[in-house]
Amino acid sequence: MKRFVAQGYDLPFINNTAISGGKKWTIKEKLLLGLTPSQYMDQFVRNPFNWLFTLIFMVGLPILAGRFYYGLGWATHGSYDYPWGLFLGWGLFVMVPLSASGFMLGTTVEVFGREDFKPIERLALLNGLLGYLFAVIFLQVDLGQPWRLIYPMFVSLGPAAVLFLVAWHVATYLSVQVAELLPAVAEWGNWPGMKKFVKSMILGLTISGIILSTLHQGALGALFTYAPGKVHPLWYSSPFQWFYFFCSSIFAGLSMLIVVSTLCKRFLSWRCDRRFLDNLDHQTMGLAKGAVLSLITYLVIKIIAIAHAENWAYLVTGWGGYYLLEICFGVLLPIVLYTKALRNNRPGLARFAALVTVLGIALNRINTALVAFNWNLYREIPHWREVIISITVYTLYIVTYRFILYRLPILYQIKAKP
Amino acid sequence: MKNLLDRRKFLKGGLASGVLASVLGTGKKAFAEHSFGGYPNSMGVLVDLSKCIGCRTCEAACNKEQEMPAPDKPFDDMSVFDEIRHGQKRRTSEKTHTVVNRYDVPGHDGPVFRKFQCNHCNEPGCLSSCFVNAYTKTPEGAVVYNEKVCVGCRTCMIACPFYVPAYKYSSPINPVITKCKMCYDTRLKNGRPPACVEACPQEVMTFGKRRDLIKLGHERIQKNPGKYIDHIYGEKEVGGTAWMYLSSVPFAEVGFNTELGDQPIVNYVKEFLTVVPMVLTIWPALFTGFHLLAKRKENQKESQKATTPSDRNA
Amino acid sequence: MSKKFITAWLALLALMMLNVQPAQSMEGPDTATLDSLTDLFAPVSFNHAMHVDVVANDCAVCHHHTTGTKVTDERCARCHKNSGEANSVACRDCHNANPFSAENLQKIADAELLFHTDKPGLKGAYHRKCLGCHQEMGAPTACENCHTKTEKGEAFYRSGKFAPTPGKEPASE
Ligand code: SF4
Ligand code: SF4
Ligand code: SF4
Repeated sequence: MKRFVAQGYDLPFINNTAISGGKKWTIKEKLLLGLTPSQYMDQFVRNPFNWLFTLIFMVGLPILAGRFYYGLGWATHGSYDYPWGLFLGWGLFVMVPLSASGFMLGTTVEVFGREDFKPIERLALLNGLLGYLFAVIFLQVDLGQPWRLIYPMFVSLGPAAVLFLVAWHVATYLSVQVAELLPAVAEWGNWPGMKKFVKSMILGLTISGIILSTLHQGALGALFTYAPGKVHPLWYSSPFQWFYFFCSSIFAGLSMLIVVSTLCKRFLSWRCDRRFLDNLDHQTMGLAKGAVLSLITYLVIKIIAIAHAENWAYLVTGWGGYYLLEICFGVLLPIVLYTKALRNNRPGLARFAALVTVLGIALNRINTALVAFNWNLYREIPHWREVIISITVYTLYIVTYRFILYRLPILYQIKAKP
Repeated sequence: MKNLLDRRKFLKGGLASGVLASVLGTGKKAFAEHSFGGYPNSMGVLVDLSKCIGCRTCEAACNKEQEMPAPDKPFDDMSVFDEIRHGQKRRTSEKTHTVVNRYDVPGHDGPVFRKFQCNHCNEPGCLSSCFVNAYTKTPEGAVVYNEKVCVGCRTCMIACPFYVPAYKYSSPINPVITKCKMCYDTRLKNGRPPACVEACPQEVMTFGKRRDLIKLGHERIQKNPGKYIDHIYGEKEVGGTAWMYLSSVPFAEVGFNTELGDQPIVNYVKEFLTVVPMVLTIWPALFTGFHLLAKRKENQKESQKATTPSDRNA
Repeated sequence: MSKKFITAWLALLALMMLNVQPAQSMEGPDTATLDSLTDLFAPVSFNHAMHVDVVANDCAVCHHHTTGTKVTDERCARCHKNSGEANSVACRDCHNANPFSAENLQKIADAELLFHTDKPGLKGAYHRKCLGCHQEMGAPTACENCHTKTEKGEAFYRSGKFAPTPGKEPASE
């Protein structure tokens, strides 16, 4: 793509030739990036990532289909002791906190009026929307009877269950996020009426987003409070579990946003406009500030919880060592890196810190859901088909993400009609 | 450290807001109030491990009564006692609602057998975790399960402290949870004992009203000094269970988790459930307030800008 | 009441009533056939005379105080020290064939002065008594040492010709 830009191809929207030329947008501009089909194929083939993705899909999609044809027992170990495997451990419990960026940037810009974060707000919203969407897709892969997904909504309600709350909130929040992103779609499709309508409700949407996010992020943690004897005490806390998950979703979402924006800058710079690129360093530092504050809160709560449950003795066991490793790598190291970056104003370091944080949060969720789960029994190594399916769905997520970034005005702005 | 965030104060805050929520009528009631309590006349089963001879007749009876799939080995094949998977003895599965396992307890004469199935908790973890309300605790004491609404999230398997519910992983079309129903539909409902109870040659299991069984269990302990561990497993564990156990060897030695405590599973979740109404009511007000504050500042800034046009870069 | 109830469970396993054969001595019959619950197992042919020998004529080992012998267990002796011979010494006359039937449970609940509330049913009484002693004395304890399975029993236990295809290991993984 970069080559095409260098060759002076006219990309739609960026310099708005299509609009200023008075020409109607056609499929060519909307979907093919202003290229002819053969040019499009050309750039597609040139991109090495596309080869990798194709390979993954070629292997993964049949196996994914097999999961639905032969059942979960074929795709996974079908473990009774570990009813939740990678699909939820990774797809739900890791994806959702990493997608908390949407509500946080929404809050920052719309509620706190920090207009200086506006250039990255849409990326944050998209990151949120796609993360949730694919968390639901992962859930659908994992559910025994995915076609019954609406049962908890309309057919048979169990309102006292934590998962009921998760289901409702994720569903509502998904629609909130769709609504929040509608302006981008409206600009791309050139439907001004739609945009106006959404704009009028944006504050309400954002605030409901905060409520829903607080609760379902917390609720994901609270799901594990159902298993007091099963999750290792160091990863378990009846009063604080929801707060662990909620609080860590803040830095998880912010750090993921830093990582994604860095990737955009690196690989999609042709699609970013100056407003995005020029503000990025400033915004990265702002996000870093938010992340470090929530990281510290998280650390304090973790220590309080250990003191509260008098779990000190566990720290000197093997599990304690592993726990400390997680904390050092996933919490302490990011705090140090972020602080250094902030003090010396080094956005590059903040980006590295963000990557570490993202990995750290993934580690924490996997630990809670799989490693420290059934700590008294045995560890379950996921079935290879389960791993491949997870990689495939995640690749699908990346491809969708990229598809949208290429087209919708997320990283760039559409200038108003002359 | 502790008084940084005292738990009780923390909780009180949560509860107070919960009350506030219900006063305002916005908090979902179901979240705040949630308790079954045991049914006073519910039935139960007292399993006396010291009497079990490991004949597996109960497994066969359950298989027949519940029309379960064919077993992998005959029910009179005792080699199953040596089966170990992931270091664990046999457990309930999609093929069986109940298993008998053999334990060789050091210092005890001969092997000890333990029959195991759903314990039919008074306040079941499985039930409280199910988001489609597939589980019901019947007044007769059984915890039954409606497979017609099961979505297959398997949270109940997470929430059952005894690792009871299994899942029909093998079925792509209609996978559902499988678990002992205390023979509710075929027997208990009509006042008859479960199939496994009736089939047992040793009458290891005594069927009766739960509260009578507790009395009976303590009597048995008392009248046979030295024979039993002075504890009825399930009398108090996780809020009490309908199936209870007597043993002449320490429970921990024969596969029982003795660290579960007396709280029903749902109590561990209540702390979060009290937070829900709080967030639902306080957040909107709080963040609208933030928004107004921010807007005011902005307006002030703007009017300042108007007066000092030189300061343009904000 | 379902059909299944009647066919399979009411009369489960092989033993229920003691069919007493003509008596040959004052101590009791020489052999007894235990056959009332003959369903999954064939009747038991019980060599009474041999067992009388084994316990050296101490009827109380099995019959508690009902035959009029002195009971040695002090927990029983508290009440039954001077109890005479009971009207019936047959197991089935005290040990209920359906101990957990609603009627029996109600009967126990209603009998406020009842002391023996924890009395095993007939099948339990047989097996506990027989097996308990067999274990102690090193006598045979496998099911089919005393009673062979009927065809129905084999189907029930999925053994014999009803056994699952051999070589098939338990569900994978
Ligand atoms: S033992 Fe498990 S499955 Fe049975 S009622 Fe209790 S929580 Fe539910
Ligand atoms: S109560 Fe019924 S379903 Fe449960 S283990 Fe016994 S026979 Fe099976
Ligand atoms: S039928 Fe009775 S004695 Fe036989 S294994 Fe089951 S509980 Fe034990």
